Amino acid sequence: MTATRWLLAYLAAVVAVTFIHEAWLLAALLAAALAAGGAGRWRIARRAVLAVLTFNLTVSLGYAAVSLWQGRFSAAYLLLVNLRVVLLVYLGFWFVARVNLLDACRFSPTLSFVVTLAAGQIEAFSRALRDFRLAFASRNAAAPALAARARHAAAQAGHLLDKSVCMAAETALAMRSRGCFDDHAGLPPPQAPPAACKKP
Amino acid sequence: MHIPDGFLSPQTYLPAYAAAGVAWAWAARGLRRTLDEETVPRLAAMTALAYGLGLVMVPIPGGTSGHALGVAMLALLFGVRLAFLAYSLVLLLQSLLFGAGGITALAVNALAMGLAGSAAAVLTFRGLRRLNETAAVALAAWASVVLPGLLVALALGVQPLIAHKEDGTPLFFPFGLSITLPAVLLPHFFIGAGEAVLTVLVWRFARARRWCSPLPLAGEGPGEEGS
Repeated sequence: MTATRWLLAYLAAVVAVTFIHEAWLLAALLAAALAAGGAGRWRIARRAVLAVLTFNLTVSLGYAAVSLWQGRFSAAYLLLVNLRVVLLVYLGFWFVARVNLLDACRFSPTLSFVVTLAAGQIEAFSRALRDFRLAFASRNAAAPALAARARHAAAQAGHLLDKSVCMAAETALAMRSRGCFDDHAGLPPPQAPPAACKKP
Repeated sequence: MHIPDGFLSPQTYLPAYAAAGVAWAWAARGLRRTLDEETVPRLAAMTALAYGLGLVMVPIPGGTSGHALGVAMLALLFGVRLAFLAYSLVLLLQSLLFGAGGITALAVNALAMGLAGSAAAVLTFRGLRRLNETAAVALAAWASVVLPGLLVALALGVQPLIAHKEDGTPLFFPFGLSITLPAVLLPHFFIGAGEAVLTVLVWRFARARRWCSPLPLAGEGPGEEGS
Protein backbone atom coordinates (compact mmCIF):
# COMPACT_ATOMS: atom_id res chain seq x y z
CA MET A 1 0.00 0.00 0.00
CA THR A 2 1.33 3.45 -0.90
CA ALA A 3 1.94 6.16 1.68
CA THR A 4 -0.90 8.25 0.28
CA ARG A 5 -3.31 5.33 0.70
CA TRP A 6 -2.13 4.89 4.27
CA LEU A 7 -2.90 8.56 4.80
CA LEU A 8 -6.41 8.13 3.40
CA ALA A 9 -6.93 5.00 5.52
CA TYR A 10 -5.77 6.88 8.62
CA LEU A 11 -8.13 9.80 7.92
CA ALA A 12 -11.05 7.41 7.33
CA ALA A 13 -10.27 5.60 10.58
CA VAL A 14 -10.16 8.87 12.51
CA VAL A 15 -13.56 9.95 11.19
CA ALA A 16 -15.03 6.50 11.88
CA VAL A 17 -13.77 6.52 15.48
CA THR A 18 -15.56 9.81 16.19
CA PHE A 19 -18.86 8.19 15.20
CA ILE A 20 -18.45 5.39 17.76
CA HIS A 21 -20.07 6.07 21.12
CA GLU A 22 -19.66 2.65 22.77
CA ALA A 23 -16.77 2.38 25.20
CA TRP A 24 -16.40 -1.39 24.76
CA LEU A 25 -16.06 -0.99 20.99
CA LEU A 26 -13.43 1.75 21.37
CA ALA A 27 -11.56 -0.45 23.87
CA ALA A 28 -11.67 -3.35 21.40
CA LEU A 29 -10.38 -1.09 18.61
CA LEU A 30 -7.60 0.20 20.84
CA ALA A 31 -6.64 -3.37 21.71
CA ALA A 32 -6.67 -4.27 18.01
CA ALA A 33 -4.53 -1.24 17.15
CA LEU A 34 -2.08 -2.18 19.90
CA ALA A 35 -1.94 -5.75 18.66
CA ALA A 36 -1.23 -4.54 15.13
CA GLY A 37 1.28 -1.95 16.32
CA GLY A 38 4.29 -4.23 16.11
CA ALA A 39 7.39 -4.01 18.25
CA GLY A 40 7.05 -0.28 18.94
CA ARG A 41 3.46 -0.49 20.19
CA TRP A 42 4.20 0.29 23.86
CA ARG A 43 6.50 3.16 23.00
CA ILE A 44 3.80 4.66 20.78
CA ALA A 45 1.13 4.03 23.41
CA ARG A 46 3.27 5.72 26.07
CA ARG A 47 3.79 8.74 23.81
CA ALA A 48 0.05 8.92 23.13
CA VAL A 49 -0.85 8.79 26.82
CA LEU A 50 1.75 11.40 27.75
CA ALA A 51 0.62 13.71 24.92
CA VAL A 52 -2.98 13.80 26.13
CA LEU A 53 -2.38 13.42 29.85
CA THR A 54 -2.52 17.07 30.93
CA PHE A 55 -5.59 18.09 28.96
CA ASN A 56 -7.53 14.89 29.58
CA LEU A 57 -6.73 14.86 33.27
CA THR A 58 -7.90 18.46 33.60
CA VAL A 59 -11.14 17.80 31.71
CA SER A 60 -11.79 14.50 33.50
CA LEU A 61 -11.23 15.92 36.99
CA GLY A 62 -13.25 19.02 36.12
CA TYR A 63 -16.09 16.89 34.80
CA ALA A 64 -15.99 14.64 37.86
CA ALA A 65 -16.13 17.62 40.21
CA VAL A 66 -18.94 19.45 38.38
CA SER A 67 -21.07 16.39 37.64
CA LEU A 68 -20.76 15.02 41.18
CA TRP A 69 -21.80 18.41 42.51
CA GLN A 70 -24.79 18.42 40.13
CA GLY A 71 -25.56 14.73 40.79
CA ARG A 72 -25.12 13.72 37.13
CA PHE A 73 -21.80 11.88 37.25
CA SER A 74 -21.27 9.26 34.54
CA ALA A 75 -18.24 6.99 34.73
CA ALA A 76 -19.23 5.66 31.29
CA TYR A 77 -18.70 9.13 29.81
CA LEU A 78 -15.23 9.43 31.33
CA LEU A 79 -14.30 6.01 29.98
CA LEU A 80 -15.73 6.82 26.54
CA VAL A 81 -14.02 10.15 26.05
CA ASN A 82 -10.63 9.05 27.38
CA LEU A 83 -10.62 5.88 25.28
CA ARG A 84 -11.57 7.87 22.20
CA VAL A 85 -8.84 10.46 22.71
CA VAL A 86 -6.13 7.88 23.43
CA LEU A 87 -7.19 5.81 20.41
CA LEU A 88 -7.15 8.83 18.07
CA VAL A 89 -3.75 10.01 19.25
CA TYR A 90 -2.36 6.44 19.16
CA LEU A 91 -3.56 6.09 15.56
CA GLY A 92 -1.84 9.38 14.68
CA PHE A 93 1.49 8.37 16.21
CA TRP A 94 1.24 4.89 14.73
CA PHE A 95 0.59 6.36 11.29
CA VAL A 96 3.61 8.67 11.55
CA ALA A 97 5.81 5.85 12.87
CA ARG A 98 4.77 3.55 10.03
CA VAL A 99 4.51 5.94 7.10
CA ASN A 100 6.88 8.62 5.91
CA LEU A 101 4.85 11.81 6.13
CA LEU A 102 6.74 13.34 3.22
CA ASP A 103 5.88 10.34 1.03
CA ALA A 104 2.24 10.65 2.06
CA CYS A 105 2.22 14.27 0.84
CA ARG A 106 3.47 13.32 -2.62
CA PHE A 107 0.00 13.71 -4.11
CA SER A 108 0.73 17.46 -4.01
CA PRO A 109 4.28 18.44 -5.06
CA THR A 110 3.85 21.91 -3.53
CA LEU A 111 2.69 20.54 -0.18
CA SER A 112 5.52 18.02 -0.28
CA PHE A 113 8.06 20.79 -0.93
CA VAL A 114 6.69 22.99 1.83
CA VAL A 115 6.53 20.21 4.43
CA THR A 116 10.06 19.05 3.58
CA LEU A 117 11.53 22.54 3.85
CA ALA A 118 9.50 23.47 6.92
CA ALA A 119 10.38 20.28 8.81
CA GLY A 120 14.09 20.92 8.31
CA GLN A 121 13.83 24.56 9.35
CA ILE A 122 11.75 23.68 12.39
CA GLU A 123 14.63 21.50 13.61
CA ALA A 124 17.06 24.40 13.12
CA PHE A 125 14.76 26.81 14.96
CA SER A 126 14.22 24.41 17.84
CA ARG A 127 17.98 24.06 18.31
CA ALA A 128 18.46 27.83 18.16
CA LEU A 129 15.79 28.42 20.81
CA ARG A 130 17.31 25.77 23.07
CA ASP A 131 20.64 27.57 22.82
CA PHE A 132 18.94 30.88 23.63
CA ARG A 133 17.33 29.42 26.76
CA LEU A 134 20.55 27.82 27.98
CA ALA A 135 22.44 31.07 27.44
CA PHE A 136 19.75 33.07 29.27
CA ALA A 137 19.75 30.63 32.18
CA SER A 138 23.54 30.74 32.40
CA ARG A 139 23.52 34.54 32.59
CA ASN A 140 20.94 34.72 35.41
CA ALA A 141 21.95 33.24 38.72
CA ALA A 142 18.72 34.47 40.33
CA ALA A 143 15.23 34.47 38.84
CA PRO A 144 15.20 37.16 36.10
CA ALA A 145 12.82 40.12 36.29
CA LEU A 146 9.72 40.37 34.13
CA ALA A 147 11.32 43.00 31.88
CA ALA A 148 14.39 40.83 31.33
CA ARG A 149 12.23 37.85 30.42
CA ALA A 150 10.22 40.02 28.02
CA ARG A 151 13.42 41.27 26.36
CA HIS A 152 14.67 37.69 26.13
CA ALA A 153 11.44 36.52 24.49
CA ALA A 154 11.60 39.44 22.05
CA ALA A 155 15.23 38.64 21.22
CA GLN A 156 14.29 35.04 20.45
CA ALA A 157 11.34 36.07 18.28
CA GLY A 158 13.46 38.69 16.48
CA HIS A 159 16.18 36.15 15.81
CA LEU A 160 13.64 33.70 14.39
CA LEU A 161 12.19 36.42 12.17
CA ASP A 162 15.64 37.41 10.96
CA LYS A 163 16.59 33.80 10.25
CA SER A 164 13.34 32.92 8.50
CA VAL A 165 13.52 35.90 6.13
CA CYS A 166 17.11 34.98 5.23
CA MET A 167 16.22 31.29 4.96
CA ALA A 168 13.41 31.99 2.50
CA ALA A 169 15.79 33.84 0.18
CA GLU A 170 18.59 31.29 0.59
CA THR A 171 16.26 28.35 0.00
CA ALA A 172 14.87 29.95 -3.15
CA LEU A 173 18.42 30.38 -4.48
CA ALA A 174 19.32 26.80 -3.50
CA MET A 175 16.20 25.44 -5.21
CA ARG A 176 16.95 27.47 -8.33
CA SER A 177 20.53 26.20 -8.44
CA ARG A 178 19.21 22.64 -8.29
CA GLY A 179 16.81 23.18 -11.17
CA CYS A 180 13.57 23.24 -9.17
CA PHE A 181 12.18 26.19 -11.13
CA ASP A 182 11.33 26.31 -14.78
CA ASP A 183 13.42 29.27 -15.88
CA HIS A 184 12.11 28.98 -19.44
CA ALA A 185 8.47 29.37 -18.47
CA GLY A 186 6.96 32.19 -20.49
CA LEU A 187 10.08 32.58 -22.61
CA PRO A 188 10.31 31.79 -26.33
CA PRO A 189 11.59 28.29 -27.09
CA PRO A 190 15.37 28.01 -27.15
CA GLN A 191 16.92 28.62 -30.53
CA ALA A 192 19.01 26.06 -32.33
CA PRO A 193 22.70 26.38 -31.51
CA PRO A 194 24.71 28.36 -34.04
CA ALA A 195 26.30 26.39 -36.81
CA ALA A 196 29.71 26.88 -35.25
CA CYS A 197 28.63 24.78 -32.24
CA LYS A 198 27.30 21.87 -34.30
CA LYS A 199 29.37 18.75 -34.56
CA PRO A 200 30.59 17.97 -38.03
CA MET B 1 -5.42 26.97 23.23
CA HIS B 2 -5.34 24.05 20.82
CA ILE B 3 -8.39 21.81 20.92
CA PRO B 4 -7.12 18.22 21.07
CA ASP B 5 -8.47 15.22 19.19
CA GLY B 6 -11.61 13.54 20.41
CA PHE B 7 -13.47 16.47 21.98
CA LEU B 8 -15.19 17.83 18.88
CA SER B 9 -18.18 16.05 17.39
CA PRO B 10 -18.35 15.25 13.66
CA GLN B 11 -21.26 17.73 13.46
CA THR B 12 -18.66 20.38 14.31
CA TYR B 13 -15.43 19.34 12.65
CA LEU B 14 -16.83 18.16 9.29
CA PRO B 15 -18.49 21.52 8.47
CA ALA B 16 -15.37 23.23 9.83
CA TYR B 17 -13.25 21.28 7.35
CA ALA B 18 -15.55 22.41 4.53
CA ALA B 19 -15.19 26.04 5.60
CA ALA B 20 -11.44 25.69 6.11
CA GLY B 21 -11.09 24.09 2.66
CA VAL B 22 -12.64 27.16 1.08
CA ALA B 23 -10.39 29.43 3.15
CA TRP B 24 -7.25 27.43 2.30
CA ALA B 25 -8.10 27.60 -1.41
CA TRP B 26 -8.65 31.38 -1.11
CA ALA B 27 -5.34 31.87 0.66
CA ALA B 28 -3.35 29.62 -1.68
CA ARG B 29 -4.86 31.17 -4.80
CA GLY B 30 -4.05 34.68 -3.65
CA LEU B 31 -0.48 33.74 -2.84
CA ARG B 32 0.06 31.94 -6.11
CA ARG B 33 -1.23 34.92 -8.06
CA THR B 34 0.88 37.53 -6.36
CA LEU B 35 4.09 35.84 -5.35
CA ASP B 36 6.76 34.36 -7.52
CA GLU B 37 9.03 31.35 -7.25
CA GLU B 38 9.83 32.33 -3.68
CA THR B 39 6.30 31.37 -2.63
CA VAL B 40 7.19 27.82 -1.62
CA PRO B 41 10.40 28.59 0.31
CA ARG B 42 8.78 31.63 1.90
CA LEU B 43 5.73 29.62 3.00
CA ALA B 44 8.06 26.95 4.42
CA ALA B 45 10.13 29.56 6.25
CA MET B 46 7.01 31.19 7.67
CA THR B 47 5.68 27.79 8.75
CA ALA B 48 8.90 27.13 10.61
CA LEU B 49 8.72 30.66 12.02
CA ALA B 50 5.15 30.15 13.24
CA TYR B 51 6.24 26.91 14.88
CA GLY B 52 9.29 28.58 16.43
CA LEU B 53 7.25 31.51 17.74
CA GLY B 54 5.00 28.99 19.44
CA LEU B 55 8.05 27.77 21.36
CA VAL B 56 8.92 31.24 22.66
CA MET B 57 7.76 31.63 26.25
CA VAL B 58 5.83 34.85 26.86
CA PRO B 59 6.39 36.14 30.40
CA ILE B 60 3.18 36.73 32.35
CA PRO B 61 3.13 38.84 35.54
CA GLY B 62 3.37 36.58 38.59
CA GLY B 63 6.41 34.63 37.45
CA THR B 64 4.61 32.31 35.08
CA SER B 65 4.77 32.20 31.31
CA GLY B 66 2.77 30.94 28.35
CA HIS B 67 3.54 30.06 24.77
CA ALA B 68 3.45 32.85 22.22
CA LEU B 69 0.91 32.49 19.44
CA GLY B 70 2.85 34.64 16.99
CA VAL B 71 0.02 34.87 14.49
CA ALA B 72 -0.27 38.66 14.87
CA MET B 73 3.42 39.04 14.11
CA LEU B 74 3.08 36.90 10.99
CA ALA B 75 -0.08 38.64 9.82
CA LEU B 76 1.23 42.17 10.38
CA LEU B 77 4.53 41.47 8.67
CA PHE B 78 3.54 39.08 5.89
CA GLY B 79 -0.24 39.29 5.43
CA VAL B 80 -3.32 37.30 6.39
CA ARG B 81 -3.06 34.68 3.65
CA LEU B 82 0.52 33.70 4.38
CA ALA B 83 -0.09 33.74 8.14
CA PHE B 84 -3.18 31.54 7.77
CA LEU B 85 -1.48 28.98 5.52
CA ALA B 86 1.68 28.90 7.62
CA TYR B 87 -0.29 28.46 10.83
CA SER B 88 -2.43 25.71 9.30
CA LEU B 89 0.72 23.82 8.28
CA VAL B 90 2.10 24.23 11.77
CA LEU B 91 -1.08 22.77 13.24
CA LEU B 92 -0.87 19.85 10.80
CA LEU B 93 2.75 19.11 11.74
CA GLN B 94 2.04 19.55 15.45
CA SER B 95 -0.94 17.22 15.35
CA LEU B 96 0.81 14.48 13.38
CA LEU B 97 4.29 14.69 14.85
CA PHE B 98 3.67 15.77 18.44
CA GLY B 99 0.05 14.90 19.20
CA ALA B 100 -0.66 18.56 20.01
CA GLY B 101 -3.97 19.73 18.66
CA GLY B 102 -5.31 16.88 16.59
CA ILE B 103 -6.38 16.01 13.10
CA THR B 104 -10.11 16.23 13.86
CA ALA B 105 -9.66 19.64 15.50
CA LEU B 106 -7.26 20.92 12.85
CA ALA B 107 -9.86 22.84 10.85
CA VAL B 108 -11.40 24.55 13.89
CA ASN B 109 -7.96 25.40 15.28
CA ALA B 110 -6.79 26.73 11.91
CA LEU B 111 -9.90 28.83 11.38
CA ALA B 112 -9.79 30.21 14.93
CA MET B 113 -6.08 30.84 15.39
CA GLY B 114 -4.81 31.09 11.82
CA LEU B 115 -7.60 32.93 10.02
CA ALA B 116 -9.60 34.76 12.70
CA GLY B 117 -6.47 35.56 14.70
CA SER B 118 -4.55 37.02 11.79
CA ALA B 119 -7.60 38.85 10.40
CA ALA B 120 -8.33 40.34 13.82
CA ALA B 121 -4.73 41.52 14.07
CA VAL B 122 -4.65 43.15 10.65
CA LEU B 123 -8.08 44.79 10.98
CA THR B 124 -7.31 46.13 14.46
CA PHE B 125 -3.97 47.43 13.28
CA ARG B 126 -5.46 49.17 10.26
CA GLY B 127 -8.24 50.69 12.30
CA LEU B 128 -5.96 52.12 14.98
CA ARG B 129 -2.68 52.74 13.15
CA ARG B 130 -3.37 56.41 12.48
CA LEU B 131 -4.01 57.10 16.15
CA ASN B 132 -0.92 55.46 17.61
CA GLU B 133 1.13 52.80 15.88
CA THR B 134 2.54 51.15 19.01
CA ALA B 135 -0.89 50.94 20.62
CA ALA B 136 -2.28 49.61 17.35
CA VAL B 137 0.30 46.80 17.26
CA ALA B 138 -0.31 45.96 20.92
CA LEU B 139 -4.08 45.86 20.55
CA ALA B 140 -3.77 43.89 17.31
CA ALA B 141 -1.69 41.25 19.10
CA TRP B 142 -4.11 41.18 22.04
CA ALA B 143 -7.07 40.76 19.68
CA SER B 144 -5.26 37.98 17.80
CA VAL B 145 -5.17 35.98 21.04
CA VAL B 146 -8.54 36.84 22.56
CA LEU B 147 -10.71 36.37 19.45
CA PRO B 148 -9.39 32.84 18.75
CA GLY B 149 -9.83 32.12 22.46
CA LEU B 150 -13.46 33.16 22.17
CA LEU B 151 -14.01 31.00 19.09
CA VAL B 152 -12.35 27.98 20.70
CA ALA B 153 -14.49 28.46 23.82
CA LEU B 154 -17.62 28.63 21.66
CA ALA B 155 -16.65 25.53 19.65
CA LEU B 156 -16.05 23.56 22.85
CA GLY B 157 -19.00 24.99 24.75
CA VAL B 158 -21.62 24.01 22.17
CA GLN B 159 -20.56 20.33 22.20
CA PRO B 160 -22.90 19.26 25.05
CA LEU B 161 -25.78 20.91 23.16
CA ILE B 162 -25.19 19.24 19.79
CA ALA B 163 -23.76 15.85 20.80
CA HIS B 164 -25.30 14.08 23.77
CA LYS B 165 -27.14 10.89 24.68
CA GLU B 166 -30.88 10.79 25.26
CA ASP B 167 -30.34 11.14 29.00
CA GLY B 168 -28.27 14.28 28.45
CA THR B 169 -24.86 12.69 29.06
CA PRO B 170 -22.33 14.43 26.80
CA LEU B 171 -20.55 12.45 24.09
CA PHE B 172 -17.64 14.81 23.45
CA PHE B 173 -16.58 17.89 25.41
CA PRO B 174 -18.58 17.93 28.64
CA PHE B 175 -18.73 21.60 29.64
CA GLY B 176 -21.19 24.17 28.32
CA LEU B 177 -20.64 27.81 27.43
CA SER B 178 -21.15 28.99 31.01
CA ILE B 179 -17.91 27.19 31.91
CA THR B 180 -15.85 27.32 28.72
CA LEU B 181 -16.21 31.06 28.09
CA PRO B 182 -14.73 32.23 31.42
CA ALA B 183 -12.31 29.29 31.66
CA VAL B 184 -10.77 29.96 28.25
CA LEU B 185 -11.19 33.72 27.94
CA LEU B 186 -9.97 34.95 31.32
CA PRO B 187 -6.46 33.44 31.04
CA HIS B 188 -6.27 34.62 27.44
CA PHE B 189 -6.80 38.23 28.49
CA PHE B 190 -3.46 37.94 30.33
CA ILE B 191 -1.75 35.82 27.66
CA GLY B 192 -2.88 38.45 25.14
CA ALA B 193 -1.18 41.15 27.21
CA GLY B 194 2.08 39.19 27.18
CA GLU B 195 1.73 38.60 23.45
CA ALA B 196 1.13 42.34 22.94
CA VAL B 197 4.38 43.26 24.70
CA LEU B 198 6.31 40.65 22.70
CA THR B 199 4.77 41.75 19.41
CA VAL B 200 5.55 45.43 20.01
CA LEU B 201 9.20 44.61 20.79
CA VAL B 202 9.52 42.44 17.68
CA TRP B 203 7.66 45.04 15.60
CA ARG B 204 10.27 47.66 16.53
CA PHE B 205 13.03 45.21 15.67
CA ALA B 206 11.39 44.51 12.31
CA ARG B 207 11.02 48.22 11.60
CA ALA B 208 14.68 48.76 12.35
CA ARG B 209 15.45 46.03 9.81
CA ARG B 210 13.07 47.69 7.33
CA TRP B 211 10.91 44.58 7.03
CA CYS B 212 7.81 46.61 7.54
CA SER B 213 7.87 48.12 4.06
CA PRO B 214 5.24 45.74 2.63
CA LEU B 215 3.00 46.25 5.64
CA PRO B 216 -0.57 47.02 4.87
CA LEU B 217 -1.78 50.52 5.53
CA ALA B 218 -4.89 50.25 3.43
CA GLY B 219 -5.17 48.14 0.35
CA GLU B 220 -1.47 47.61 -0.05
CA GLY B 221 1.00 44.90 0.91
CA PRO B 222 0.62 41.17 1.33
CA GLY B 223 -2.42 41.38 3.54
CA GLU B 224 -4.42 42.80 0.69
CA GLU B 225 -3.08 40.68 -2.10
CA GLY B 226 -5.79 39.59 -4.38
CA SER B 227 -8.53 40.60 -1.99
